[in-house]
Amino acid sequence: MKRSLIGRIWPNATAVVLFVGFVFPVYWMFATAFKPTGDIITDDPVWFPTDVTFEHFKKAVNADNFWTLVLNSVTVTVSSVVISLVIALFAAFALARMRFKGRRGLIVTFMLAQMAPWEVMIIAIYMIVRDSDMLDSLIPLTVFYTMMVLPLTILTLRGYVAAVPKELEESAMVDGCTRAQAFRKVIFPLLAPGLMATSLFGFITAWNEFPLVLILNKANEKQTLPLWLSQFQTAFGDDWGATMAASSLFALPILILFIFLQRKAVSGLTDGAVKG
Amino acid sequence: MSVQTEGTDTAGKPAVRKARVPAPPRGADGASRASSRRGAGVPYLLLLPALLATVILLGWPLVKNGMLSFQNLNPRQLIQHLTEWNGFANYREVLTEAEFWHVVERSVFFTAANVVLIMGAGTLIGLLLARLGKKMRLTLLVGLVLAWAMPVVAATTVYQWLFAQRFGVVNWVLDKLGWHSMADHNWLETQFSTFAVVTLLIVWMSVPFVAINLYAATTTIPRELYEAASLDGAGAWKSFTSVTLPFLRPFLYSTTFLEVIWVFKSFTQIFAMNEGGPDHLTETLPIYAYVQGVGNQHFGVGAAISFLTILALLIITSYYLRMVLKQEEDEL
Amino acid sequence: MKRKLAAAIVIAGMMVSVSACGGDDGNDSKDAGPESWKGQTLTVWTMDGSAPEQWTKDVQAAFEKKTGAKVKFETQKWDGIQQKITTALSESTPPDVLEVGNTQTPAYAATGGLAELGDVKQQIGSDWTESVSKSSVYDGKQYAAPWYFANRVVIYNKAIWAKAGIKDTPKTRDEFYKDLETIGKKTDAEPLYLPGQNWYFFDGLTIGQDADLVKKEGDKYVSNLGDPKVTAAMEIYKKYASYSKAPKDKDEATPQQATIFAKGKTGAFIGMGWEAATAIQANKSIEKDLGYFTVPGETADKPEGVFLGGSNLAVAQNSKKQSLAKEFLKIALSDQYEGQLAKLNGIVPNKESLESNLKGNAAAEAAAPGAAVGGTTPLIPEWAAVENSPNPIKSYMTSVLNGKSPADAAKQVEGEINKRLAQQN
Repeated sequence: MKRSLIGRIWPNATAVVLFVGFVFPVYWMFATAFKPTGDIITDDPVWFPTDVTFEHFKKAVNADNFWTLVLNSVTVTVSSVVISLVIALFAAFALARMRFKGRRGLIVTFMLAQMAPWEVMIIAIYMIVRDSDMLDSLIPLTVFYTMMVLPLTILTLRGYVAAVPKELEESAMVDGCTRAQAFRKVIFPLLAPGLMATSLFGFITAWNEFPLVLILNKANEKQTLPLWLSQFQTAFGDDWGATMAASSLFALPILILFIFLQRKAVSGLTDGAVKG
Repeated sequence: MSVQTEGTDTAGKPAVRKARVPAPPRGADGASRASSRRGAGVPYLLLLPALLATVILLGWPLVKNGMLSFQNLNPRQLIQHLTEWNGFANYREVLTEAEFWHVVERSVFFTAANVVLIMGAGTLIGLLLARLGKKMRLTLLVGLVLAWAMPVVAATTVYQWLFAQRFGVVNWVLDKLGWHSMADHNWLETQFSTFAVVTLLIVWMSVPFVAINLYAATTTIPRELYEAASLDGAGAWKSFTSVTLPFLRPFLYSTTFLEVIWVFKSFTQIFAMNEGGPDHLTETLPIYAYVQGVGNQHFGVGAAISFLTILALLIITSYYLRMVLKQEEDEL
Repeated sequence: MKRKLAAAIVIAGMMVSVSACGGDDGNDSKDAGPESWKGQTLTVWTMDGSAPEQWTKDVQAAFEKKTGAKVKFETQKWDGIQQKITTALSESTPPDVLEVGNTQTPAYAATGGLAELGDVKQQIGSDWTESVSKSSVYDGKQYAAPWYFANRVVIYNKAIWAKAGIKDTPKTRDEFYKDLETIGKKTDAEPLYLPGQNWYFFDGLTIGQDADLVKKEGDKYVSNLGDPKVTAAMEIYKKYASYSKAPKDKDEATPQQATIFAKGKTGAFIGMGWEAATAIQANKSIEKDLGYFTVPGETADKPEGVFLGGSNLAVAQNSKKQSLAKEFLKIALSDQYEGQLAKLNGIVPNKESLESNLKGNAAAEAAAPGAAVGGTTPLIPEWAAVENSPNPIKSYMTSVLNGKSPADAAKQVEGEINKRLAQQN
């Protein structure tokens, strides 16, 4: 069936418009960050940063404890993602591959758990952490971020585990592997792309969280980057160059991670399609 | 809220999996049955860490929150570690307040509007992706992924800048397009336009998830189904409604469920944009709970509102949860 | 409650003995005495912009020399501070000494989170200005020590005013309006930067109108925003705001108004003297154009009412270093360092005898006449809740500026204010 000329043009035209719409805010953030203030506060916007400056980035990085906060954010985010992946993998395997009593109830439990509105339970969590004498520490943060992402990680991984052909596992077991060995040698490698894709959700959740750290960690050197960004914004509300530089720095790791892992996940999908 | 990733692997999604295998011979599997009989405790053991985490880290705060909702808890009690039970007083205070019901109503409309927009736009863009040539598709995918990956705190800040009253690029464009009254427009001045900006932000960052996953799902539709449909004489529209849509339905259900939860829970987007203002008019339930509880330091009342928020979320999603319960029964 | 402090300031020195600090030695035996001080570290929370570097350095040195203990200053942001202080006071290791806004002090005193400081008052506070010490007294007991006070002045750009051909600074409100009009006509500058929610300026106007923000109904306080006197104050605010293009739904801190002023395209703004430093930091070349004058009132003989804002220093009840904390107060609030702070920051010190430190400080000199007719917000524990974000009075202001009638706007927020005033403690 041949498409008419219009029929061929409109999808592409729409795609271009959509592309611009989705990319522009991200572009504008980076562009503003690199423009000298004179080019930001103008009556007519300067669309492309012609004379690039790093002055805003310097200002952003100059904040007290900036590198400590980076380290804290990375520590908390990576640990909670890794811990939740490990816990979730066990659970997902059981839910996807085994028959047992209460399975249905558990799935619904995790679905309910992922609905928890954490922001509104903040005082309760604060009192628990306070009474356990764990304030101003990265441990409660890690632990609660792990829990925030755990339910969805389980539910998603369950899908990935189920997608691995059962026959592979069985043939491995026929070859004399125990179930655990079969899991480690056969299923796990096939799951790797799925794990990476799933981890993105955890990364972005933990990286972004801020109401909890705001109330739990008052000591500056125990805080994380979202607090820095929001305080930066309050202090430099009108200094859009510095604010956008801070936003860019904050967003960059996630953007990179995303593009990198997303690719892996897609190739994982095609692999899976071929093998499945 | 943000991003999420069950990824491009749609084959992994429970819903899709079910659709792909119309009559799955699942459970008719001797080997797994035998092995599970041998180690009946194994699944529980595997689930133990997840369960423990859920009980301790979610269950405990929930119970604590529930207990606080029956207490008179203000700065004095918090500071002196006093426990003053006051029965249902907090609930009575919240439920008899007209404000609360306005907030509930607002939250429902806000969620509905956003989810409809997200699912509508996401589905259309997903179908568009399937129609595009390879290069164009990749370009659009990159754009979507960038928006998807923007951390919400940064994204909210960027939108404030885009819509800034002074020197904001949106006002400039509207002015140049001939809408001169918008030159110095303050977007956060009224309820409607604040919601408009928040909605645009939420839709912008949520659509990519729906679109990309939906596109990936369409690629797993077996070609033979279309061939069979066209043999039956089905046109483009007919084959869409008879093949594509039924195939995607479970996926659409589960995605809608997730979006409802995420939109309903959205906190940072609204709070960081304008703190629920102007005049509390953009407070949805989570914001209301936060402002009353933490902002006004009326912690007991805040706990009661958060309990009611959870209840509201349960009611809204109960239809889907029931469906899941039924569906899981059929599986394995 | 009495909000007029004018008379009080004048006769303050004579009245100190009135304050009820009787017979309380406090039980600061929570920790051992001076011999245990060595090697300890005291944590002190000060607010952003309160303690200049030179001052903290000197106080630190003096404190270490005297006690052998260290002191760690931690600067706090104003944003979300109430929640931060409340939670901190509930913890087992709170900051030992903390700066508390004068209008919030009664509320914190009522929570039991602050230690009683009757003995400190007895030792170093006999000549504290009664009017500024008042906010730290709750239920007849001293729960904080007055630290510094300040009121707003008009900070203006001399170059712009000269360009508009204005020679003298205005002496009455009408003159001020006229000057702003002239600037608007003759220059391309924004005559005044006044965002819609500069609520402490509005509070000053209500003090000038002799208006009360709350009234007592039975044994409860309720909103009095609908009062014609409050409306009159709001009308003045509205008139001023009409000379400004500043957002109607923002306060003076977001963005920092001084940084807007620093761009040199604003005729004037109403702010604290030290905000000039913020402006200079943002743009050095603005320094030579900076000028100050007292906010003019209805008539030339009486300046506009101002909010006499300020801060007290308090000791956390849960602090395990109470005697050390009190020792810190004695050093930080001694004539030497209190005087130094007045000089450095141009603030009103806690004793009249130290006001000589303000000589030569143009901003402080412009502020002084205002301080004489200054007032505060209602000094009742219930009040702090009203100012919690989102502050309903700020909503009221924005509504009026957006065209709502003051009566309707008052009615709209009344419920919220009454609810907050009625909050149990």
